[in-house]
Amino acid sequence: MSADQNLRQRLSGLWRRVRHWLRVQFGAVPLLGWLAGALVAVLLEMFLGTPLARLLGMSKPPVLFGFTVVLKTPAYIPSVLAYVLLIYILPVALVARFSIRPANRLAGGLMRTSTLLSVAVHLALLYATLHLWAGLSDYRLLVVRLMLIAVMLTLSLNVVNGYMGEFSCSHPGFMALGAYAASVFTIVLFAQDNTFGAPLLPAGLGPFIFPLGLILGGGLAAVGALLVAIPSFRTRGDYLAIISLAFMFIVKSLFENLEIVGGARGLGGQPDWAGLPIVFAWAVICVWTINNFVRSTMGKALNAVRDGELAADAMTVDTSRTKMVAFLFAAFWAGVAGGLFAHVLRYVNPGTFDLKKLAEVLAMVYLGGLNSVVGSIVGAVSYNLLSEALRPLELYKWIIIPLLLILVMIFRPTGMIAFREFDVVRLLQPKKPAPEVVIPGSVEPQAGG
Amino acid sequence: MAFFLQQVVNALQRGSFYALIALGYSMVYGVLMLFNFAHGDVFMVGAYIGFFVSSGLLALSAAGFLALPTGVTLALVLVLTLIISMFLNSFVGMLVERIGYRPLRGAPRASAAITGLMIGIILETGNLALLGAQRRSFPDLIPGETIQILGVSITPKKIVIVGVSLLLMFGLHFFVRRTKWGMAMRAMAYDFVVVPLMGISINTIALLTFALGSALAAAAGILYGVAYPVLDPYMGVLFGWKAFVAAIVGGRGSVLGAGLAGFLLGFIEIFVASYLPSTLRDLIAFSIILVILTFRPHGFFGEPYSAQLRL
Amino acid sequence: MALLSVHDMTHWFGGLQAVSGYNVAVEPGQIRGLIGPNGAGKTTVFNLITGRYKPTEGQILLDGQEITGLPPHKIASMGLARTFQNLRLWRHMTVLEHVKMARYSKITYGLAGAFFGTARRNREEAEIEARAFQLLELVGAVEWADQIVTNLPYGMQRRVELARALAIEPKVLFLDEPTAGMNPEELVQMMEIVRQVHQELDLAIFLIEHRMKVVMDLCERIQTLVFGQVIAEGTPEEIRNDPKVIEAYLGKEVMA
Repeated sequence: MSADQNLRQRLSGLWRRVRHWLRVQFGAVPLLGWLAGALVAVLLEMFLGTPLARLLGMSKPPVLFGFTVVLKTPAYIPSVLAYVLLIYILPVALVARFSIRPANRLAGGLMRTSTLLSVAVHLALLYATLHLWAGLSDYRLLVVRLMLIAVMLTLSLNVVNGYMGEFSCSHPGFMALGAYAASVFTIVLFAQDNTFGAPLLPAGLGPFIFPLGLILGGGLAAVGALLVAIPSFRTRGDYLAIISLAFMFIVKSLFENLEIVGGARGLGGQPDWAGLPIVFAWAVICVWTINNFVRSTMGKALNAVRDGELAADAMTVDTSRTKMVAFLFAAFWAGVAGGLFAHVLRYVNPGTFDLKKLAEVLAMVYLGGLNSVVGSIVGAVSYNLLSEALRPLELYKWIIIPLLLILVMIFRPTGMIAFREFDVVRLLQPKKPAPEVVIPGSVEPQAGG
Repeated sequence: MAFFLQQVVNALQRGSFYALIALGYSMVYGVLMLFNFAHGDVFMVGAYIGFFVSSGLLALSAAGFLALPTGVTLALVLVLTLIISMFLNSFVGMLVERIGYRPLRGAPRASAAITGLMIGIILETGNLALLGAQRRSFPDLIPGETIQILGVSITPKKIVIVGVSLLLMFGLHFFVRRTKWGMAMRAMAYDFVVVPLMGISINTIALLTFALGSALAAAAGILYGVAYPVLDPYMGVLFGWKAFVAAIVGGRGSVLGAGLAGFLLGFIEIFVASYLPSTLRDLIAFSIILVILTFRPHGFFGEPYSAQLRL
Repeated sequence: MALLSVHDMTHWFGGLQAVSGYNVAVEPGQIRGLIGPNGAGKTTVFNLITGRYKPTEGQILLDGQEITGLPPHKIASMGLARTFQNLRLWRHMTVLEHVKMARYSKITYGLAGAFFGTARRNREEAEIEARAFQLLELVGAVEWADQIVTNLPYGMQRRVELARALAIEPKVLFLDEPTAGMNPEELVQMMEIVRQVHQELDLAIFLIEHRMKVVMDLCERIQTLVFGQVIAEGTPEEIRNDPKVIEAYLGKEVMA
């Protein structure tokens, strides 16, 4: 055996042992444990972040896990690594690892009491973590909210491109419709504006009426979807792609020419109601309703239409209704996401909803995985993180990200986590400890946790 | 009346670009069942290649290597630029096919579409990174006085542009209809699976299709540069997408259809812009196209059959 | 009155007459067969009755109600189920999902249930799943329930398609060459399953088949279709000996 082969064998053996060790140590950690670990890490950062950062030679804690810092000033790499290790990795790992028994017991207890309670507790922990993490900087707050909006967009597009198997290019158009509708609604009713005049309702009512504005935006987007669906659903094939593309251009052009909402200059002055709790709540509702839908037999009918429309027809599935419902539903959520988007930025202009937006949202869907709720969440989050992290590279970001996506397409054409069902119950359940496994060639079997 | 004729002339010019680019889309869609979303950016690359080639040739001419009367030199430069750029750009197209599309030959076509989008972005960003944000000014290769015929202003530019475009289009038509390779392309458009069983390599046909489309795009780019001298890395984006929609309106895989639809789009744009505020141009153009597609989704000359972008 | 009756059905594809003056009366619980040379129009007859095409002329009545020209999914939900000659399965879905899907028309929980997970939805989904398991057990494919359907052996896929059709709770079950592509062992099993299905569920079966053994053994009445026209109809014994049928399959010369 050559030295080269020897080395490769040793390395792969080492890798196997590492993976095995990780599985043994962390395989039994329930989701509750990870969330607890994350919360502890975030709390740690809240109290010790700044002093630790200063100790390591940085003026303040890195905003985005250090990616941006590292790219701007490579000299900081050791400090950033130390920071990330001490504040994020170690606390999460330690808490998760050493709370396995109580966490599993708690997870089991919650599940037995009520699934709803378990979901509520997990969501509360998740929200707390996000809230505290984002509390440290305005930038983080913006990133988290935009990421949640991206999740909604990606998931809603996945319904059409993944579950229904079509290729729709009209999501930026739906977003735009929702953004403008919601903005006009809130500005007319609650804001002092040059075009629209004085507010019509007291500001106190605002947060309660805001959901109405978002739903209005979603509704308008759904109407737009109707305009796309009627011509394209009558026919088979790639026509939805083209018609939806034309629709996207039309919507953008429409708003550029609509002087009453600012035309190409855009519309600003939306009230500041899209805070983290609101955006989080809407994202949760979005994921929940879409997941409910795609797991039902009614939703699975989408898959049947995609994989064999003729057979679906013969099996009592009303294919036109199924497609229409799904498409309008998806457009609704894109509209809501658009409305939230407009209120997070407190400004909206037609230039945002262009081909670049389309490319981004398609990238998130295909990166994460088609026909998969988990895939969309993962795709949206990782794309956004990547996009933010590579920001210091400026231009080169737009060479690296497309390249990455091309690689994903070549090796996993349907995305990273495609066709996976999002089983909430299974996600929240307590985990069993990892089975004892013997590594061939090792002296003794590794003991379980 | 003169105004109307003037617009017709302008529309012919504008339509020429759309037609040439639409042909590339149409061929790839017809033969490979693929939306090549990178094509608009290949058009941009072709324009830039033309810029460098023509600038280089002009520099050579100025340095004394091509000593002929001015008019003739420019014509020569134009012809050489066209030939050289079309040749070079065909390699760009083939590279795009080889790297982006061939690995995805068996994959869902939607994934290939995404890849195309990404390649387009890379081309745009690459251009920006390599050449900077400064816009380039395409040399004026067809100077000439405006001639007045029936009250219509016609410049040599317009004549040459429309003429060259028509020439190239007929050339392509001839190639597709009369040569063996063209027949192979048409065969693949009908039945993707059987053609390789007849001893014709899909890879070769794919490369050929992309090469032809990209060559035409380069021609479009150069003519575009002559007509609207300012080049920028994003010039292919909107233009390319419009040409794409025109290709669909023309009908899947139909050379004649793509050409006609390209000219139609040019007509719509010019006429809308001349009678209505120009900001409404895109809105109306796309609305008209939407209406056409609603009533005739497979385009002018396409057949109703079309496969889905399947998973 | 017949459960399913077709009156003078004629269909043209452009200038080609595919089916001419077709008549049939399917009684409840009857097993009928449709045989004929390739290209005779048998599958077209099925497609016409199940609504995939609207017949150029003619009338189709199910349980006294006219179903001519109704959309396929409506006809299916009224009690006409079918399988396909070349197995139309959904490649990304599991076996269980296939059978559950055919219960679509029985769903009453609507959009509210689908989006918000109401009690009614949970109840109906549980019922759908229970019924699906029952049917899979009936056809003997229950161990494959969670498998993606393309992973199954061919014989099993055919059974899944059968179970899927049965989930509609059809009054009439159309089987388009259910044993196509099967080896002798699978064929015998399939025939047994069809018999069992016929016995346990109260339905009529209309069968297209090329294998004479299957047709003669299973069917009570058989029609022979040649160039879109029924040239003979009767019991298996009658058909077996009918000179017109023999001529259609073997040619005039043999008779001489």
